[in-house]
Amino acid sequence: MTSLSTAAAGAIDAFKIYGKDDSEVRALDGVTVTFASGKFTAIMGPSGSGKSTLMHCLAGLDSLTSGSITIGDTNLATLNDKELTLTRRSNVGFIFQAYNLIPTLTALENITLPLDLGGTPVDQQWLDTVVDAVGLRSRLNHRPSELSGGQQQRVAVARALASKPRIIFADEPTGNLDSRMGTEILTFMRHAVTDLGQTIVMVTHDPVAASYADRVIFLADGKIVDELDNPTADQVLDRMKRLGS
Amino acid sequence: MAAPVTRLTIRGVIARKWRIFLTILAVVSGVAFVSGAFVLTDSVKKSINDVFATLSEGIDIEVRTSIAFGDEATAERDPVSVDVIDVVAAIDGVRLAEGNLLRAATVIKSDGEPLRTSGPAFGIAWVGPDGLDGRTIVEGRPAAGPSEVTLDKSSARRAGYEVGDTVTIVGPAGKGDFVLVGLNGTGKTTNGGGASIAAFDPVTANEFLGAENMVDSIYVAIDEGADRDAVMAAIDAALPDGLEVITGEQSAEETAGAINDIIDIFGNVLLGFAAVSLFVSAFLIFNTFAIIVSQRLRELALLRAVGASARQIRTMIIGEALVVSVIATLLGILAGMGVAKGIVAIFNAAGAAFPSASLIVSPRTVIASTVVGVGVTVAAAIVPALRAARIPPVAAMRPELGFNSLQKNKRLVVGSITTGIGLVLFSIGVFGQPGGTSGTLGLSAVGAILLFLGIASLSTTVAAPASRVISRVLPLPFRPMTRSVPGRLGSRNAQRTPRRTASTASALMIGLALVSTVSVVASSVQASFKEQLQGSVTADFFVSNGPGNFQGLPVAFSERLSELPELSAVSPFRAATAQVNGDTKQIGAVRGSAFGQLVDIDLTSGSVESLDDGKILLHRDPARDYAVQVGDTLSILWLNGTEQQIEVGGIYDDATIAGNWLVGLSTLQAVSTATPTDFFIGAKIADGVDIEDARAAVEEVALDFPSAEVQDQAEFQQSQEDQLNQLLIIIYGLLIISIAIAVLGIANTMALSVFERTREFGLLRAVGMSKRDLKRSIRWEAVIVAVFGASLGIIVGIPLGLAVTTALPSTFITTTVVPVNTIIVILIASIIVGVVAAMPARRAARLNVLDAISTH
Ligand SMILES: Nc1ncnc2c1ncn2[C@@H]1O[C@H](COP(=O)(O)OP(=O)(O)O)[C@@H](O)[C@H]1O
Ligand SMILES: [Mg+2]
Repeated sequence: MTSLSTAAAGAIDAFKIYGKDDSEVRALDGVTVTFASGKFTAIMGPSGSGKSTLMHCLAGLDSLTSGSITIGDTNLATLNDKELTLTRRSNVGFIFQAYNLIPTLTALENITLPLDLGGTPVDQQWLDTVVDAVGLRSRLNHRPSELSGGQQQRVAVARALASKPRIIFADEPTGNLDSRMGTEILTFMRHAVTDLGQTIVMVTHDPVAASYADRVIFLADGKIVDELDNPTADQVLDRMKRLGS
Repeated sequence: MAAPVTRLTIRGVIARKWRIFLTILAVVSGVAFVSGAFVLTDSVKKSINDVFATLSEGIDIEVRTSIAFGDEATAERDPVSVDVIDVVAAIDGVRLAEGNLLRAATVIKSDGEPLRTSGPAFGIAWVGPDGLDGRTIVEGRPAAGPSEVTLDKSSARRAGYEVGDTVTIVGPAGKGDFVLVGLNGTGKTTNGGGASIAAFDPVTANEFLGAENMVDSIYVAIDEGADRDAVMAAIDAALPDGLEVITGEQSAEETAGAINDIIDIFGNVLLGFAAVSLFVSAFLIFNTFAIIVSQRLRELALLRAVGASARQIRTMIIGEALVVSVIATLLGILAGMGVAKGIVAIFNAAGAAFPSASLIVSPRTVIASTVVGVGVTVAAAIVPALRAARIPPVAAMRPELGFNSLQKNKRLVVGSITTGIGLVLFSIGVFGQPGGTSGTLGLSAVGAILLFLGIASLSTTVAAPASRVISRVLPLPFRPMTRSVPGRLGSRNAQRTPRRTASTASALMIGLALVSTVSVVASSVQASFKEQLQGSVTADFFVSNGPGNFQGLPVAFSERLSELPELSAVSPFRAATAQVNGDTKQIGAVRGSAFGQLVDIDLTSGSVESLDDGKILLHRDPARDYAVQVGDTLSILWLNGTEQQIEVGGIYDDATIAGNWLVGLSTLQAVSTATPTDFFIGAKIADGVDIEDARAAVEEVALDFPSAEVQDQAEFQQSQEDQLNQLLIIIYGLLIISIAIAVLGIANTMALSVFERTREFGLLRAVGMSKRDLKRSIRWEAVIVAVFGASLGIIVGIPLGLAVTTALPSTFITTTVVPVNTIIVILIASIIVGVVAAMPARRAARLNVLDAISTH
């Protein structure tokens, strides 16, 4: 029960139901889970199992049909759109699979965007740390269209880190990258958790990616069916095979 | 806080500069008309006021006859006897008093034709540069003696005369030959602001201009150091009854003011252009922003996801509109100066000789243009901005969740209510006519705007099925189109986003609805007018001043025609202002013994001849309003203060030519000493005289009145109709502009949606569609949208036109005509509009296939 005070986010009895009657889809079917601060958690499961839905709801991008989501001490259900916006701005960071950056802003402007939107002064030292960590120093004044896919994802990671959010959600952040670039991003995310003290929740279907996490949660048909601490790629693959059969 | 939003806004505009180019163009055109209207009126007024200020610089006081009622500036005053000049000159403190005399007088050019001017053609009495009139001599010397004249320099040049030449001039009393001894200027300019001015010495002027020892007014200068108020009081005390004293400044202001009113009419026509083009532009702006917002769905959702508030998104989109509008407004103000310069140039080319004015951009011009340009643009962007702010953040990953737009049912309800309110307001405005002209215009304009908005919103519902129908029916003449792949694609694309199709078509709908409305009203008025003219004109000849000349004919003309044995009946038509039972009216004066044979006014009681017995005739409408019958009396107050009780001598039904009120010439002559001029003269051929002979006799007299134009019945009717047509040309011009903007709108939407479909087109090309077929499908889509808009416009416009026709008084409209030809032209034109509007979008077909499919 120590987890409560150190939990970055959590869901209790989360249901997300699409459609009605015959065409009803239970994207989340009673999920209860907590994500500890300072940990790197991976969410895995077959396609359509509800991974993205869970992540969107956890991040306050989408709302539950029933149940509750907390980020830090805040129950998201009690917030209006404005408060949700503020929460996303200061407590949550995002890394999407693609289309992460505003095309009209430079890399640096994209990184500081959440801070700028909130009028929060930029912590220059932290920004330097982040920029150097992702190795983007020479690319800061480039537009997204002038960056490679891997570089664009690194900018997205840097943006997620820049505001020192309580928790970062990543939806298949390496899904569009070749394995070398993917490794680069995952290494960096691991580094952000271990050395910079960040909390990351990552959706993936790649066992290798999941092996970078401290803990893996397995979803199937909207329910949590299994979990694994300090996973290796082989262990994950093994579980997935079992789930699949 | 503002910083990132501002940055996003500005970058957003720059990134989409080509996509908003056409939008800027549309706003520019609207603003250009607003600023053009103000720049033109300000500049021309200033230069004209300057001319009058220069002319009256030396005049401290003016003495003139007073009027009983009405507009001080434009009143036709009775003249003042020259004896009064001596009375005024004798008063203490008066340094100089001189008569001001100005009469119609036409200069005959060296080639024998009369000099046509856009302003009036005057002869004046001028004592020379030492007098009070501020005219100058730029060459030669002032006229002195019975055979000399000076002309304003620009008229002399246009007429082909130089100092020393002999000039023929036609005055009210006849023709005269004069030696041109000098050329006049006014202040810095060498022309009379479009007028031609021939200056004689006062004695010659009195003689030649037929003034009979009367002057229009008396100019007075006071001794240096004299107290003007005291001098004015002393003059006033010495004057006979019926005269008044005003300051020179007031006099100049009044004269300039009367001309300024005419200039304001030009300005108002331009503002009308502005209103229509801005209203249509608003749809274009709305469309551009709506499309841009939907194209940026993911970007906006991403912003929301990383912490932009709904308000920040809203601010950003409205900010973009603001940037666009400020750029467009600035360009529009500049373009407006071009418009003003262009109009002045056009008028000058037509002989107006506006004093060469520098363009004046007053603060009011800038403020009005900005309010209008920024206001319309931002207002049109509000709905797209609100829509953008409602994009859920989750759409960053699930674009299909993008818009939860206005429900179909809700739109139907809102659209119906708006349409309904619009219809009600329009009907009240047109049929109830509350609050006079402005009330009627205001209510029906607001009604029409609401109606258009409502229909635009409703049309979304029918856009898809209507596109389907159009794509089936339209190609019947060229059948293979429907079956072909490009044909099918174009038609499907028109149906795919009904909202976009509908709002794109709406801009065209408005333009064409206005065209349809106006053409129904215009053809009905035209047909009715023709019918009425045919029924009422019985004269064989009409004589009037040439087109655009409002000065009237000298009365000597009709007197000489009366003497011709070839004619049996001759009557001039004169007009005067009077108050009937306290209401100001225009009253016509004719010869009772002749008028009945020249114009059939459908007399229902009394007799036309009774006019010559000092009775009054009136149309049945005022007869009803004043509840009078033949034998009753009406109290008439003439401008100079004479009041008369006049007996009603007859009531008539047809006011087409006669107007509502008629008195005999003798009645008018008895009451007023103002110099009469005739609007036109009607004449009937005597029994047994050949029409050719009669015409030759009339033309012979006309030689002495060079500005006059002799017309037979058919020519007269044609010229009356031509005048009506000229008015229609202005109105159609206005509508062409709105249609041009609508074309921009369709081109804009097509270009934007093609941009959006880059990948789709790439795919089509990749699987083997030819460039030609791709272009055809885009063109077909544009044509369907244009025809949809045109059909809506016709469907809305014709009933509106019929409503207006019904509401017009029956004296105006006797037949209602739906101009089928115009409607067919509109439909064919809309197909062309579609083809033209598809041009910018065809660039898409030139895309490199690989580039197209790899675009994100
Ligand atoms: N907007 C939606 N409407 C209807 N069903 C949806 C919607 N979004 C997701 N679903 C369904 O919910 C289930 C879970 O989807 P998702 O969370 O995207 O799965 P995953 O990310 O694990 O592939 C799927 O069956 C999907 O079809
Ligand atoms: Mg998913």
